[in-house]
Amino acid sequence: MKYSYIKPRSKTIFTKDVLLLLAFFSVTMVMLFGTYAFLLFRDYRFTQDMLDINEQKSELRASILKMSNEIATIEKQVLLSEKVFTKNSVLKESISNLFDLVPSRITLSEAKIMENGLVLYGITPNKDVYNFMLQAPLRSIFHRTYSSFYPDKNGWLRFVSTNYIDEEEELSSEN
Amino acid sequence: MKTNLSRQNLYLLAVSIFLLIFVLIFSFAIMIPKGKSYRVKKTELKKENLELKQLTDFSIEKEVILQKLQGDNSHAIKAFGSDFSADKFINQHRGFFSSLSVSKSSKLEDEDGFSVYEVNTTSQISSPKSFYNFLDAINTSSWIIGINFPINFKRDGEMISSSFTMRVYSNNKESNSSK
Repeated sequence: MKYSYIKPRSKTIFTKDVLLLLAFFSVTMVMLFGTYAFLLFRDYRFTQDMLDINEQKSELRASILKMSNEIATIEKQVLLSEKVFTKNSVLKESISNLFDLVPSRITLSEAKIMENGLVLYGITPNKDVYNFMLQAPLRSIFHRTYSSFYPDKNGWLRFVSTNYIDEEEELSSEN
Repeated sequence: MKTNLSRQNLYLLAVSIFLLIFVLIFSFAIMIPKGKSYRVKKTELKKENLELKQLTDFSIEKEVILQKLQGDNSHAIKAFGSDFSADKFINQHRGFFSSLSVSKSSKLEDEDGFSVYEVNTTSQISSPKSFYNFLDAINTSSWIIGINFPINFKRDGEMISSSFTMRVYSNNKESNSSK
Protein backbone atom coordinates (compact mmCIF):
# COMPACT_ATOMS: atom_id res chain seq x y z
CA MET A 1 0.00 0.00 0.00
CA LYS A 2 1.39 3.30 -1.09
CA TYR A 3 1.41 6.25 1.23
CA SER A 4 2.93 8.72 -1.26
CA TYR A 5 2.60 9.47 -4.91
CA ILE A 6 6.28 10.40 -5.39
CA LYS A 7 9.25 8.11 -5.39
CA PRO A 8 11.46 8.31 -2.32
CA ARG A 9 14.67 10.34 -2.90
CA SER A 10 17.69 8.14 -2.45
CA LYS A 11 19.93 9.47 0.31
CA THR A 12 23.64 9.71 -0.38
CA ILE A 13 26.65 10.96 1.54
CA PHE A 14 27.85 12.84 -1.56
CA THR A 15 25.65 15.83 -1.26
CA LYS A 16 26.34 18.90 -3.35
CA ASP A 17 28.26 20.47 -0.50
CA VAL A 18 30.44 17.38 -0.04
CA LEU A 19 31.07 17.17 -3.77
CA LEU A 20 32.06 20.83 -3.88
CA LEU A 21 34.35 20.38 -0.93
CA LEU A 22 35.88 17.25 -2.43
CA ALA A 23 36.35 18.99 -5.76
CA PHE A 24 38.11 21.88 -4.05
CA PHE A 25 40.39 19.63 -2.04
CA SER A 26 41.01 17.36 -5.03
CA VAL A 27 42.24 20.34 -7.05
CA THR A 28 44.37 21.45 -4.11
CA MET A 29 45.81 17.91 -3.71
CA VAL A 30 46.53 17.59 -7.40
CA MET A 31 48.33 20.93 -7.32
CA LEU A 32 50.26 19.97 -4.19
CA PHE A 33 51.27 16.52 -5.42
CA GLY A 34 51.99 17.92 -8.87
CA THR A 35 54.33 20.51 -7.40
CA TYR A 36 55.91 17.89 -5.17
CA ALA A 37 56.42 15.54 -8.13
CA PHE A 38 57.92 18.43 -10.09
CA LEU A 39 60.29 19.18 -7.19
CA LEU A 40 61.27 15.51 -6.92
CA PHE A 41 61.93 15.33 -10.65
CA ARG A 42 63.98 18.54 -10.59
CA ASP A 43 65.90 17.24 -7.58
CA TYR A 44 66.74 14.07 -9.48
CA ARG A 45 67.77 16.13 -12.52
CA PHE A 46 69.96 18.39 -10.35
CA THR A 47 71.70 15.37 -8.87
CA GLN A 48 72.29 13.94 -12.35
CA ASP A 49 73.49 17.29 -13.70
CA MET A 50 75.77 17.72 -10.70
CA LEU A 51 77.31 14.29 -11.32
CA ASP A 52 77.78 15.11 -15.02
CA ILE A 53 79.35 18.47 -14.21
CA ASN A 54 81.69 16.93 -11.64
CA GLU A 55 82.73 14.28 -14.14
CA GLN A 56 83.33 16.93 -16.82
CA LYS A 57 85.26 19.03 -14.35
CA SER A 58 87.55 16.14 -13.40
CA GLU A 59 88.11 15.36 -17.08
CA LEU A 60 88.88 19.02 -17.81
CA ARG A 61 91.23 19.24 -14.82
CA ALA A 62 93.10 16.13 -15.99
CA SER A 63 93.28 17.51 -19.52
CA ILE A 64 94.51 20.92 -18.28
CA LEU A 65 97.16 19.22 -16.15
CA LYS A 66 98.28 17.15 -19.14
CA MET A 67 98.41 20.21 -21.37
CA SER A 68 100.29 22.21 -18.72
CA ASN A 69 102.89 19.44 -18.51
CA GLU A 70 103.17 19.36 -22.28
CA ILE A 71 103.55 23.16 -22.39
CA ALA A 72 106.24 23.03 -19.70
CA THR A 73 108.10 20.28 -21.61
CA ILE A 74 107.91 22.19 -24.89
CA GLU A 75 109.08 25.40 -23.21
CA LYS A 76 112.02 23.48 -21.74
CA GLN A 77 112.78 21.96 -25.15
CA VAL A 78 112.61 25.35 -26.85
CA LEU A 79 114.83 26.94 -24.22
CA LEU A 80 117.47 24.22 -24.52
CA SER A 81 117.33 24.11 -28.31
CA GLU A 82 117.74 27.90 -28.49
CA LYS A 83 120.68 27.67 -26.09
CA VAL A 84 122.31 24.97 -28.22
CA PHE A 85 121.62 26.79 -31.50
CA THR A 86 122.98 30.05 -30.10
CA LYS A 87 126.09 28.22 -28.91
CA ASN A 88 126.58 26.78 -32.40
CA SER A 89 126.15 30.20 -34.00
CA VAL A 90 128.58 31.80 -31.53
CA LEU A 91 131.03 28.98 -32.21
CA LYS A 92 130.76 29.61 -35.93
CA GLU A 93 131.42 33.32 -35.42
CA SER A 94 134.36 32.55 -33.12
CA ILE A 95 136.00 30.19 -35.61
CA SER A 96 135.35 32.62 -38.44
CA ASN A 97 136.90 35.47 -36.43
CA LEU A 98 139.84 33.28 -35.52
CA PHE A 99 140.64 32.42 -39.12
CA ASP A 100 140.12 36.07 -40.14
CA LEU A 101 142.68 36.99 -37.50
CA VAL A 102 145.43 35.03 -39.21
CA PRO A 103 147.23 37.27 -41.71
CA SER A 104 147.91 36.01 -45.22
CA ARG A 105 151.67 35.93 -44.60
CA ILE A 106 151.26 33.35 -41.86
CA THR A 107 150.12 29.85 -42.70
CA LEU A 108 148.41 27.73 -40.11
CA SER A 109 149.06 24.02 -40.09
CA GLU A 110 146.94 23.09 -37.11
CA ALA A 111 144.47 24.74 -34.76
CA LYS A 112 143.09 23.31 -31.53
CA ILE A 113 140.12 25.24 -30.22
CA MET A 114 139.28 24.52 -26.60
CA GLU A 115 136.69 25.90 -24.22
CA ASN A 116 139.14 28.35 -22.65
CA GLY A 117 142.09 28.12 -24.91
CA LEU A 118 143.52 28.02 -28.38
CA VAL A 119 146.64 26.32 -29.70
CA LEU A 120 147.88 27.33 -33.11
CA TYR A 121 150.62 25.66 -35.11
CA GLY A 122 151.94 27.34 -38.24
CA ILE A 123 154.70 28.87 -40.29
CA THR A 124 155.74 32.51 -40.27
CA PRO A 125 158.39 34.25 -42.42
CA ASN A 126 159.91 35.79 -39.27
CA LYS A 127 159.19 36.56 -35.64
CA ASP A 128 158.22 40.19 -36.30
CA VAL A 129 155.44 39.25 -38.66
CA TYR A 130 154.15 36.81 -36.08
CA ASN A 131 154.51 39.22 -33.14
CA PHE A 132 152.83 42.18 -34.83
CA MET A 133 150.26 40.49 -36.99
CA LEU A 134 149.15 37.50 -34.95
CA GLN A 135 150.37 37.67 -31.39
CA ALA A 136 149.17 41.23 -30.82
CA PRO A 137 145.51 40.49 -31.61
CA LEU A 138 145.73 37.18 -29.73
CA ARG A 139 147.02 39.00 -26.64
CA SER A 140 144.03 41.31 -26.75
CA ILE A 141 141.68 38.32 -26.64
CA PHE A 142 143.43 35.88 -24.30
CA HIS A 143 144.80 36.46 -20.80
CA ARG A 144 147.88 34.28 -21.23
CA THR A 145 149.74 33.80 -24.49
CA TYR A 146 152.87 31.67 -24.93
CA SER A 147 154.78 31.30 -28.16
CA SER A 148 157.65 29.10 -29.19
CA PHE A 149 159.52 29.01 -32.48
CA TYR A 150 161.75 26.57 -34.27
CA PRO A 151 163.34 26.96 -37.69
CA ASP A 152 161.90 25.35 -40.77
CA LYS A 153 163.82 24.06 -43.82
CA ASN A 154 163.33 27.15 -46.02
CA GLY A 155 164.48 29.65 -43.40
CA TRP A 156 160.96 30.36 -42.19
CA LEU A 157 159.94 29.72 -38.62
CA ARG A 158 157.50 27.20 -37.33
CA PHE A 159 155.61 28.42 -34.30
CA VAL A 160 153.37 27.06 -31.60
CA SER A 161 151.08 29.63 -30.02
CA THR A 162 149.29 28.62 -26.84
CA ASN A 163 146.62 30.98 -25.54
CA TYR A 164 144.37 30.75 -22.50
CA ILE A 165 141.49 32.66 -21.03
CA ASP A 166 141.47 32.60 -17.22
CA GLU A 167 137.94 31.97 -16.06
CA GLU A 168 138.40 33.87 -12.79
CA GLU A 169 139.62 36.99 -14.57
CA GLU A 170 136.84 36.64 -17.10
CA LEU A 171 134.26 36.51 -14.31
CA SER A 172 135.74 39.47 -12.41
CA SER A 173 135.86 41.58 -15.58
CA GLU A 174 132.20 40.71 -16.26
CA ASN A 175 131.25 41.79 -12.72
CA MET B 1 23.21 31.22 21.40
CA LYS B 2 22.51 27.71 20.36
CA THR B 3 23.80 26.41 17.03
CA ASN B 4 22.07 23.59 15.31
CA LEU B 5 24.49 21.44 13.35
CA SER B 6 23.16 18.40 11.63
CA ARG B 7 25.16 15.21 11.69
CA GLN B 8 25.93 15.59 8.02
CA ASN B 9 27.28 19.08 8.54
CA LEU B 10 29.41 17.79 11.38
CA TYR B 11 30.94 15.15 9.10
CA LEU B 12 31.51 17.80 6.50
CA LEU B 13 33.24 20.02 9.01
CA ALA B 14 35.36 17.11 10.25
CA VAL B 15 36.42 16.15 6.73
CA SER B 16 37.16 19.80 5.91
CA ILE B 17 39.31 20.23 8.99
CA PHE B 18 41.11 16.94 8.35
CA LEU B 19 41.87 17.90 4.77
CA LEU B 20 42.91 21.37 5.76
CA ILE B 21 45.28 20.02 8.39
CA PHE B 22 46.66 17.52 5.88
CA VAL B 23 47.26 20.28 3.35
CA LEU B 24 48.94 22.48 5.94
CA ILE B 25 51.14 19.69 7.30
CA PHE B 26 52.06 18.53 3.82
CA SER B 27 52.89 22.07 2.78
CA PHE B 28 54.95 23.06 5.80
CA ALA B 29 56.60 19.72 6.57
CA ILE B 30 57.39 18.56 3.06
CA MET B 31 56.75 21.10 0.34
CA ILE B 32 58.40 24.18 1.83
CA PRO B 33 61.66 22.38 2.89
CA LYS B 34 61.73 20.68 -0.50
CA GLY B 35 61.23 24.02 -2.21
CA LYS B 36 64.03 25.55 -0.17
CA SER B 37 66.36 22.67 -1.00
CA TYR B 38 65.32 23.07 -4.67
CA ARG B 39 66.37 26.71 -4.57
CA VAL B 40 69.68 25.88 -2.86
CA LYS B 41 70.41 23.15 -5.37
CA LYS B 42 69.51 25.44 -8.25
CA THR B 43 71.97 28.07 -6.98
CA GLU B 44 74.61 25.39 -6.45
CA LEU B 45 74.09 24.05 -9.95
CA LYS B 46 74.39 27.55 -11.36
CA LYS B 47 77.65 27.98 -9.46
CA GLU B 48 78.94 24.63 -10.68
CA ASN B 49 77.95 25.50 -14.24
CA LEU B 50 79.83 28.76 -13.97
CA GLU B 51 82.88 26.96 -12.63
CA LEU B 52 82.59 24.43 -15.45
CA LYS B 53 82.43 27.24 -17.99
CA GLN B 54 85.51 28.87 -16.47
CA LEU B 55 87.35 25.53 -16.56
CA THR B 56 86.27 24.98 -20.17
CA ASP B 57 87.46 28.45 -21.14
CA PHE B 58 90.77 27.86 -19.34
CA SER B 59 91.14 24.50 -21.05
CA ILE B 60 90.48 26.09 -24.46
CA GLU B 61 93.01 28.81 -23.63
CA LYS B 62 95.60 26.17 -22.70
CA GLU B 63 94.85 24.21 -25.85
CA VAL B 64 95.38 27.31 -27.98
CA ILE B 65 98.70 28.01 -26.24
CA LEU B 66 99.75 24.38 -26.64
CA GLN B 67 98.80 24.29 -30.32
CA LYS B 68 100.63 27.57 -30.96
CA LEU B 69 103.72 26.27 -29.17
CA GLN B 70 103.54 22.98 -31.08
CA GLY B 71 103.10 24.83 -34.37
CA ASP B 72 105.89 27.33 -33.76
CA ASN B 73 108.37 24.78 -32.44
CA SER B 74 107.54 21.66 -34.42
CA HIS B 75 111.18 21.29 -35.49
CA ALA B 76 112.54 21.36 -31.93
CA ILE B 77 109.78 19.01 -30.65
CA LYS B 78 110.39 16.51 -33.45
CA ALA B 79 114.16 16.79 -33.07
CA PHE B 80 114.03 16.06 -29.34
CA GLY B 81 111.89 12.99 -30.01
CA SER B 82 114.25 11.55 -32.64
CA ASP B 83 116.84 8.91 -31.85
CA PHE B 84 120.25 9.75 -33.24
CA SER B 85 121.28 7.69 -36.24
CA ALA B 86 124.88 8.01 -37.41
CA ASP B 87 124.02 6.85 -40.94
CA LYS B 88 121.19 9.32 -41.29
CA PHE B 89 123.41 12.09 -39.93
CA ILE B 90 126.14 11.28 -42.45
CA ASN B 91 123.57 11.20 -45.28
CA GLN B 92 122.23 14.58 -44.26
CA HIS B 93 125.57 16.34 -43.81
CA ARG B 94 128.06 14.60 -46.08
CA GLY B 95 127.63 17.43 -48.60
CA PHE B 96 129.61 19.77 -46.37
CA PHE B 97 132.59 17.44 -46.06
CA SER B 98 134.89 15.52 -48.35
CA SER B 99 134.73 12.67 -45.89
CA LEU B 100 132.78 12.26 -42.70
CA SER B 101 132.71 9.59 -40.04
CA VAL B 102 130.65 9.58 -36.90
CA SER B 103 130.77 7.30 -33.86
CA LYS B 104 128.37 7.44 -30.95
CA SER B 105 130.65 7.24 -27.94
CA SER B 106 128.91 7.63 -24.60
CA LYS B 107 125.86 8.77 -22.73
CA LEU B 108 126.57 11.78 -20.58
CA GLU B 109 124.77 13.00 -17.50
CA ASP B 110 121.27 14.30 -18.15
CA GLU B 111 121.05 18.05 -18.75
CA ASP B 112 117.89 19.94 -17.75
CA GLY B 113 116.05 16.60 -17.73
CA PHE B 114 117.14 15.65 -21.26
CA SER B 115 119.35 12.72 -22.31
CA VAL B 116 122.71 13.77 -23.71
CA TYR B 117 124.86 11.59 -25.95
CA GLU B 118 128.36 12.43 -27.04
CA VAL B 119 129.26 11.71 -30.63
CA ASN B 120 132.80 11.81 -32.01
CA THR B 121 133.19 13.17 -35.50
CA THR B 122 136.16 13.16 -37.84
CA SER B 123 135.96 14.78 -41.21
CA GLN B 124 137.82 16.40 -44.04
CA ILE B 125 136.88 19.78 -45.44
CA SER B 126 138.20 21.75 -48.35
CA SER B 127 137.86 25.14 -46.66
CA PRO B 128 136.65 26.60 -43.37
CA LYS B 129 133.59 27.88 -45.28
CA SER B 130 132.30 24.30 -45.50
CA PHE B 131 132.54 24.04 -41.74
CA TYR B 132 130.62 27.31 -41.31
CA ASN B 133 127.91 25.99 -43.61
CA PHE B 134 127.84 22.77 -41.59
CA LEU B 135 127.39 24.79 -38.38
CA ASP B 136 124.47 26.65 -39.97
CA ALA B 137 122.92 23.40 -41.17
CA ILE B 138 123.31 21.62 -37.85
CA ASN B 139 120.71 23.97 -36.34
CA THR B 140 118.12 22.72 -38.81
CA SER B 141 119.03 19.03 -38.69
CA SER B 142 116.76 16.24 -37.44
CA TRP B 143 118.34 16.28 -33.97
CA ILE B 144 119.30 18.86 -31.40
CA ILE B 145 123.06 18.89 -31.75
CA GLY B 146 125.56 21.13 -30.06
CA ILE B 147 129.13 21.23 -31.33
CA ASN B 148 131.44 20.79 -28.42
CA PHE B 149 135.04 21.63 -27.66
CA PRO B 150 137.76 20.70 -28.36
CA ILE B 151 137.72 21.23 -32.11
CA ASN B 152 140.85 20.34 -34.00
CA PHE B 153 141.74 21.48 -37.49
CA LYS B 154 144.85 20.10 -39.17
CA ARG B 155 146.14 20.85 -42.62
CA ASP B 156 146.43 17.67 -44.63
CA GLY B 157 147.75 18.62 -48.09
CA GLU B 158 145.00 20.57 -49.83
CA MET B 159 142.41 19.46 -47.30
CA ILE B 160 141.74 20.25 -43.67
CA SER B 161 141.16 17.36 -41.30
CA SER B 162 138.81 18.25 -38.52
CA SER B 163 137.76 16.37 -35.45
CA PHE B 164 135.27 17.44 -32.86
CA THR B 165 132.65 16.08 -30.52
CA MET B 166 128.95 16.76 -30.74
CA ARG B 167 126.35 16.57 -28.03
CA VAL B 168 123.02 15.16 -29.10
CA TYR B 169 120.07 16.06 -26.88
CA SER B 170 116.89 14.02 -26.77
CA ASN B 171 113.85 13.48 -24.58
CA ASN B 172 114.58 11.50 -21.48
CA LYS B 173 112.57 8.34 -22.18
CA GLU B 174 112.94 6.97 -18.65
CA SER B 175 111.45 10.04 -17.01
CA ASN B 176 108.80 10.31 -19.73
CA SER B 177 107.71 6.72 -19.26
CA SER B 178 107.51 7.13 -15.50
CA LYS B 179 105.11 10.10 -15.87
